[in-house]
Amino acid sequence: MKPIRRIPTWLQRILFYASILGPGLITASADNDAPGIATYSMAGSTYGYRFLWLIVAITVGELVVQEMAARMGAVTGKGTADLIRERFGVRVTAFAMFCLLLANLGTTIAQFAGVAAGTELLGVSRYITVPLAALLVGFLVLRGSYERVEKVLLVLCLAALSYVATAIAVRPSWGAVLRQAVTPTFSSDPGYILAVLATIGTTISPWGIVYMQASVADKGVDMERFRFTRLDVMFGAAWGNIVSAFIIITTAATLFVHGIHVETAEQAAMALAPLAGAGARYLFTTGLLGASLLAASVLPLSTAYAICEAFGWERGLDHRSREAPFFYGLYMGIIVLSVLVVLIPGIPLFPIMWLSQSLNAILLPVLLVLVLKLVNSRRVMGDWVNRRWQNILAWILTGLIVLVTVMLLVSPVLN
Amino acid sequence: MLYVSQMQNRQVWDAWGNPVGRCVDVLVGAVERNFPPVKALQLHSDTPHNGDRFIPAACVSSLYPSITLNVPQDKCLAYTPIGDELYLLDRVLDRQIVDTEGRRVVRVNDLQLARVGDQYCLTGVDVGGRGLLRRLGLESLAQALARLLGSSWKTGVIPWEDVAPLHQEDPLRLRVSHDRIVQLPPADLAAILNELDHPTSAALMETFNNETLADALEESPADVQVSVLSRMEPERAADILEEMDPDEAADLLADLPEQTSEQLLSLMEDDEAAEVRSLLVYPEDSAGGIMTTEFARAPIGLRAGELMDYLRRSESARDDEVMYYIYLEDENHRLCGVISLRDLVMAPPDADLAPWVNLDPVTVDPYTPQQEAAYKVAKYDLLAVPVVGPENRELLGIVTVDDAVDTVLPTAWKKRLPRFF
Repeated sequence: MKPIRRIPTWLQRILFYASILGPGLITASADNDAPGIATYSMAGSTYGYRFLWLIVAITVGELVVQEMAARMGAVTGKGTADLIRERFGVRVTAFAMFCLLLANLGTTIAQFAGVAAGTELLGVSRYITVPLAALLVGFLVLRGSYERVEKVLLVLCLAALSYVATAIAVRPSWGAVLRQAVTPTFSSDPGYILAVLATIGTTISPWGIVYMQASVADKGVDMERFRFTRLDVMFGAAWGNIVSAFIIITTAATLFVHGIHVETAEQAAMALAPLAGAGARYLFTTGLLGASLLAASVLPLSTAYAICEAFGWERGLDHRSREAPFFYGLYMGIIVLSVLVVLIPGIPLFPIMWLSQSLNAILLPVLLVLVLKLVNSRRVMGDWVNRRWQNILAWILTGLIVLVTVMLLVSPVLN
Repeated sequence: MLYVSQMQNRQVWDAWGNPVGRCVDVLVGAVERNFPPVKALQLHSDTPHNGDRFIPAACVSSLYPSITLNVPQDKCLAYTPIGDELYLLDRVLDRQIVDTEGRRVVRVNDLQLARVGDQYCLTGVDVGGRGLLRRLGLESLAQALARLLGSSWKTGVIPWEDVAPLHQEDPLRLRVSHDRIVQLPPADLAAILNELDHPTSAALMETFNNETLADALEESPADVQVSVLSRMEPERAADILEEMDPDEAADLLADLPEQTSEQLLSLMEDDEAAEVRSLLVYPEDSAGGIMTTEFARAPIGLRAGELMDYLRRSESARDDEVMYYIYLEDENHRLCGVISLRDLVMAPPDADLAPWVNLDPVTVDPYTPQQEAAYKVAKYDLLAVPVVGPENRELLGIVTVDDAVDTVLPTAWKKRLPRFF
């Protein structure tokens, strides 16, 4: 008798590919989370198309970095924190984990700031919505019903696509867009440098690396199937950055031309007005909420996991809280602290959202240098060490971030 | 107490007080022992012609507070590693190990050495916070703080005999770990395998025999079962499926691609495969999907002693892992009644069993939802409920309480991260 509980083979094949495709797409979509939208809106409205070349350059950087992280996950089956600890010992690990915690805490704050900004746009106080969002996120993740809700949130994130539609609708000068996309420009103005760092940090983030490696390792992707993962990484990075570029184009074509430099969510939402008219704020809030809740569910968890992995503490949701006090403590601590920061009366939400990403970029080189050392170690990677061109690109990226950070520090003196 | 972190990169002096090099590793031998002895130190000196070399333990006069040799350095013959040494700093420190007492995976923060007789031996593994603080150079500060607060400061040192190091690249040593790990209960074994990274857990599973692995797999979540089995040689996978309970094996096969599961079924022994196939017919979350076909059955009408004799010879009874009840059937395998093992044992050997047999037992049919079966088990305080054919009341299998409550309390909680975090 033919068993009836089988899935047809063709469907299995699709499911197989779907199970491999994923991490890349998700990390890339996370580029356009609340801090991401804030960063690109701010950059586009303040500097017009001048940041487009940066997006092009960052896409290359993201491709190289994420591919390295995914490759490390596939070859070793281990997490980034695990490898760092085994290779560099306790002191370096403690420093790296401190940086990761700081960067991720900043980004989590930015996610809850996104919830606050989005809902206040609809006239609901953040003192109601932010604690509610934190409870929702905690409940979903700890009760394990998160995976079902994840899909709803992912759909909400599609609201970011409205930037693509708006950009096409407002008919920007595509010639100017293309010209700016290939013409690097730079300024030593501290505001500009912070914006550059934020744009880098929201696209290539420490948690993006850690997440990518962990999810590839967790799926048990081996090097035979790695070409699918590599494809996923490339597709995801390209896709995420295309959307990012369109956010810049839209805000440049709608806000920058009218001299509006985005400083609040209200102003940022106006960018979608040509498409949605009075509904722009609803559309904007939808995208912001979906992405913020998604990232707020994921970030504290992956941070707690990585840190516990590095120090060998019990971790994972299969442990009860008494068995894994550090894991749950970190998880709760990150969420509670983030909520409290966002609830400080009068704290400017929109600048928090993008400045947290500048912090991301400033802390990124710490992790990048360690990852580069690991990925070039034959003992760790066997024959899958970096090629020369990968090293060159990755070191250029690391060097540039450090250089820009130094410029930020000395720019007040220069000006 | 001496810790290897205190020796790491420490200068080594010879008997005349000349620097010999820095200590970069500590080699111990006979790791299967409770106190593996230190065999040699690996030294690194920055002068180019010296490079790395091994100093035998016999040349070492003390390790702490400074590492000194008992001979001038040119009198010390270099040690030649014979291949069974464990490099403590390189292979153990900062790595994950299994704490077989605590039944968990922990990370090595430090390693403890002690003088046993005339040699230094590895005695324990520090997995606690104190080891971490020592590595950070904060131990004395933390100790002072603890004293200030008046609390005693626990060490997290596990004796070496309760530790199983994990070296996927090192089959010989994995053998030792295997001997220490296999004694764990299957549920803990499964949790440990799930906690480890894929390559390490795969290497560890290579060392298990089929029965151990089958037991551990039964306790593992579905995605782990699938990934383990699909990496294995088909012949071994089939052997392992035979070792598993038929209902668990059927669940697993249902999760595999059709070609793979067909191939595995054809490699299994015929009767085992037939049993699994019969279970594959039912949906996974129905009574038929979770029932087991290995249970004690006997013809109705036997006296107590006869029934006991029958069971001792019966193959179905031998396969029954728990045997809470004996199911009595007629010649057409229709369920007629149930007697509990307790009543059977307590009855006089020549007694007619009629007073103890429940002639109208609670039953479910194979398409009854798992929830419903669980409800009946709970409501009637049963340890197992028989599954009978919907029309003819033919006895098909039993759902035991542990399988029934799986819907309410899954054995395998989410072992890993959410897929998307």
